[in-house]
Amino acid sequence: MEFYTNALSHVLTFGPLTAMIGATLLGVFIGALPGLNPVMAIALLLPLTYSMDPLVALAMVAGIYNGSMYGGAIPAILLRIPGTPASIATTFDGFPMADRGEASKALKIACWSSAIGGIASAIALMTMGPMLARVTLFFGPAEYFWIAIFGMASVAVMVGSDPVKGIMAAVLGLLIGTIGIDNLSGQARFTFGQTWLLGGLDLIVVLVGLYALPPVLQLAEKCDLRGLSAAQLKLADVPFKKGEIRGLIPTWLRASGIGIGVGILPGAGGNIAAFLSYNAAKNASDDPSSFGKGNPQGVAAAECGNNADNAASMIPALALGIPGNVVAALVLSALTIHGLQPGPQLFHQNPTLVGGFMMEMLITSVLIFALGGAVATRVFAQFQRLPGVLLVPTILILMCVGVYVINGRAIDLWVMLAAGFAGYFLEKVNFPLAPVILGMILGPMAEQSVRRALLISRGDVTELVTRPISAVLAAVTVLVIVWPLVKMARRRRKPVEH
Amino acid sequence: MEKRQDIVLGLIFVGIGIFAAWMATSYKGASGTYPMVLGLVLTLLGATVSIKALRQPTDQPRALVNAPAKLVTAALVSTIYVALVIPLGFYTASFLLVLAMPLALGFRRLVYALTVAVVFMSLIYLVFSVLLEKPLPRELILSLNAVGG
Repeated sequence: MEFYTNALSHVLTFGPLTAMIGATLLGVFIGALPGLNPVMAIALLLPLTYSMDPLVALAMVAGIYNGSMYGGAIPAILLRIPGTPASIATTFDGFPMADRGEASKALKIACWSSAIGGIASAIALMTMGPMLARVTLFFGPAEYFWIAIFGMASVAVMVGSDPVKGIMAAVLGLLIGTIGIDNLSGQARFTFGQTWLLGGLDLIVVLVGLYALPPVLQLAEKCDLRGLSAAQLKLADVPFKKGEIRGLIPTWLRASGIGIGVGILPGAGGNIAAFLSYNAAKNASDDPSSFGKGNPQGVAAAECGNNADNAASMIPALALGIPGNVVAALVLSALTIHGLQPGPQLFHQNPTLVGGFMMEMLITSVLIFALGGAVATRVFAQFQRLPGVLLVPTILILMCVGVYVINGRAIDLWVMLAAGFAGYFLEKVNFPLAPVILGMILGPMAEQSVRRALLISRGDVTELVTRPISAVLAAVTVLVIVWPLVKMARRRRKPVEH
Repeated sequence: MEKRQDIVLGLIFVGIGIFAAWMATSYKGASGTYPMVLGLVLTLLGATVSIKALRQPTDQPRALVNAPAKLVTAALVSTIYVALVIPLGFYTASFLLVLAMPLALGFRRLVYALTVAVVFMSLIYLVFSVLLEKPLPRELILSLNAVGG
């Protein structure tokens, strides 16, 4: 308890509080604009947090993450366009509600459901995170190595449709992570005589390029020259029927549980949580045929499920250094920027920061109630009148300013552009980008841990698998990699047998 | 076409993997072993992707680019912008970008674009130069004024 009271006293100060309020509003705005997503927004934000206090920086990440997950529901309900991939399931019942003049009611349900899911998820993070971290006290270099490999492997095989491409992406990230001077021997690797490469490729520069430029290019391809008309965004107030809100409570409880479970699993994202929650609500309903035709339970389940995934995905990220999704990977990047090593040591070395971030995830979820109400939603919906084509240069400028201020070098702008163009085409060929970033983050940890373990054991490789915990971790890692490949091979063999 | 795209993707990674492994042979001791292993694994995975695509009985069409003309325009304008940020200065190049990019993509409401450019650049100036005091590439126009003065 002292862990949280101490952290709370740091969070409830001017800097983090202002950051949480501002970032939650910004998050709702970003989520409300189709084409912009939380990953892109946090990637753009990270370079600006270099000079900030880590708790302020993480407050902004928490606000944008929770706010944008709700913000995605606004265009999903009003226009049947999911603002973020996690709000696809919200369109199923949200848009039919808006179509029969109940947009305001649907938005209110989405707002409350998002806040409730977020709060439940933050409570799960606050209770399960420290418990998991306590286990890691028994870890040595061999265990850290396997944790890093397990994290990459699980995300690599679960993100995207082809596990081989996922593993290939992780290995590419590991290889990019070796660029620069090797900390243990002083050997310069893959620098091609360029002094700017001695420190390695800046993670944030690559991250901004990979995650922000492809959506910008897609916006340019869509070429929206008009934006929406005022008539399309008109909202009329519809009162709730007696007992209607109380009827949503079982849905909220069920969706929160599902979202938390999905969040803990590495690789599964908010969209999966929303779909599972929606299906569970439909199956539990007395009238399943009303789903897809404007049933408020559908909106509540989808929105509660996708927000319940948020903080829960930070449980493996903070306690083990294994990010559950790309945003969790970005949080790990934010920690790296501030000189903190993501992974098991974090809880023991920086309790105020970890506890503070957990509190911030909780507070920003509560803020959705206050800031994401119908009035705010009306204001944010108006931003959709802006033609999409005007967003293209404005995001590009934000990317450039963010990247330039990191090192004050023009070369970083070219690296960002190259990473962005590569990211655009790699996404088109179903090559997942999240494992590349994970490889870059966890690669140095994996390499240093394995080399330390081998130094301790005087070159004995069996040391990596003979300790009980490392043996279990190694076995689980092999299983995580091999199982999807076996499943894929079986699936391919089936039609041949027929 | 998906099949052809995957074959090319696999071959590109085979190339990157072999190149990385070959480069790593010149690094001393353990500092070379790790990238060499990664290079070899990448080669193996790239070959797997290519072979898998080759053996695939059906070919599912998948467009690599949805609107080629728009994409090339956006990529070209972005590249020119990055090239001009240092010589012209951040604010000058950015202001020109906010006007040029929508126009190049077919947006013809010039007053609208100009209003967005002025409002957006003022916000950027207030946040990055006034509030955060971040050093950004110096404006050429200011340097010329200084020389002229």
